[in-house]
Amino acid sequence: MARALRGVAAIVGIGQTEFSKDAGRSETQLACEAIEAALADAGLGTDDMDGLVSYTIDPVEETELVRSLGTPEITWSSRVPYGGAGSQGVLLHAAAAVACGAADVVVAYRALRARSGQRFGAAGKPAPSATSGHSGTTAMQWCSPFGVLTPASWMALNATRYMHTFGVTSEDFGRAVVQLRAYAATNPNAHFFGRPIGLADHQASRWIAEPCMRLFDCCQETDGSVAIVITAADRAGDTRHPIVIETAVGAALFEQEVASDHYREDLSVMDGTVALARQLFDATGIRRAEIDVAMIYDAFSPILLMQLEALGFCGFGEAKDFIAEGNLGPKGALPCNTNGGLIGEGYIHGMNLTLEAVRQLRGDSANQLDTPQLALVSASRTGTILRRP
Amino acid sequence: MELSGAGTVYSYAVLHHPRNPKFTYPLVTALVDLVEGIRMVTNLVDIEPGDVRIGMPVRVTFVPAAGDMYVPVFERREAS
Repeated sequence: MARALRGVAAIVGIGQTEFSKDAGRSETQLACEAIEAALADAGLGTDDMDGLVSYTIDPVEETELVRSLGTPEITWSSRVPYGGAGSQGVLLHAAAAVACGAADVVVAYRALRARSGQRFGAAGKPAPSATSGHSGTTAMQWCSPFGVLTPASWMALNATRYMHTFGVTSEDFGRAVVQLRAYAATNPNAHFFGRPIGLADHQASRWIAEPCMRLFDCCQETDGSVAIVITAADRAGDTRHPIVIETAVGAALFEQEVASDHYREDLSVMDGTVALARQLFDATGIRRAEIDVAMIYDAFSPILLMQLEALGFCGFGEAKDFIAEGNLGPKGALPCNTNGGLIGEGYIHGMNLTLEAVRQLRGDSANQLDTPQLALVSASRTGTILRRP
Repeated sequence: MELSGAGTVYSYAVLHHPRNPKFTYPLVTALVDLVEGIRMVTNLVDIEPGDVRIGMPVRVTFVPAAGDMYVPVFERREAS
């Protein structure tokens, strides 16, 4: 097992654009706005940034960013594969870079126009390539001839099996969604601000993929950008409100697909997340009971339940009961996705969950909990644990 | 390896939205485990969406796709 990377780096700034359905400007423009906001939040300027990291599938070019921001020199950059599942891997890359001295101030960013740009499943979308830009979905070529064209349809095949194995129902997914929408309803940054739902509303929403995903089980298609500033921990003390990256890990499992992950023996367990949990907990000695708040990648509600189990916050098949008992709520054992999640707030490909974890630890979330000390962010294959210093 | 074309439904999803004009909806998609141990993403044909069950025995049939190509899809079979 890899030696855990412990406390060597800190998040010293966060920034974002508005989240919308039609940003009306390019991804590059959105990224510049989020990065400038994040650097300003850290008390830094674009001259101070010397490292960049994003996702392999992000459309914004580093050269464009450097030119547009007027940054004099970048000494290090990197990209992380696996799409949203790799979203916390940017923190692993950034922490490693500042710890070894390859860069001093690293900015992690993600910008997308998931609604006003090219949408999944639309007619006329080019055929997926066999490699898909390291998005972790090389098996799309075996899915698309059968109309399995969207992330919802890829993951639905796993989710139906999960329901079958453990006796999970659409109502069980709905109870998670009702909690996410309750958080979103009181978060002015959320798409569903002011619009809570009950279980009956969830059950009345139309099928996307029957029997596992209704419309309200699906995350938003969002335009927007977020950015995070990372420095070495020993430098972070000079900044206004640093949050320690207690650990950041990736568990890629190269033999497995990420989204179109159909070929493992038992699809009702997320093996990649079981491996992630070994790195987050077993390798660090951090106990699950120490986690005060969790952000769990909820592109679709079934994978929220499946990650809760694979991370070990409850037993396999027990997430439905864990949720029904109210444990994801503000008074529960594991308040979860307090921004409303990707389902309620918006979908900046998982990185907006990291921002909410930072806000909780700083004490300025719209749904602020009582002084949380440790926050976990799981993107199923990559994850991080953040600590209030 | 020659495959018998017989398998069982490991999982499925009946797709409703979004609707790509190349396909007919509701679209029954499935994972079929062939008896030889290979799993495939595929479609189930000649079955009502509400009648699909995990564990259901199926057998291969071929339907025309683009150009002169055919794709393997599955229909119900009697359990042997």
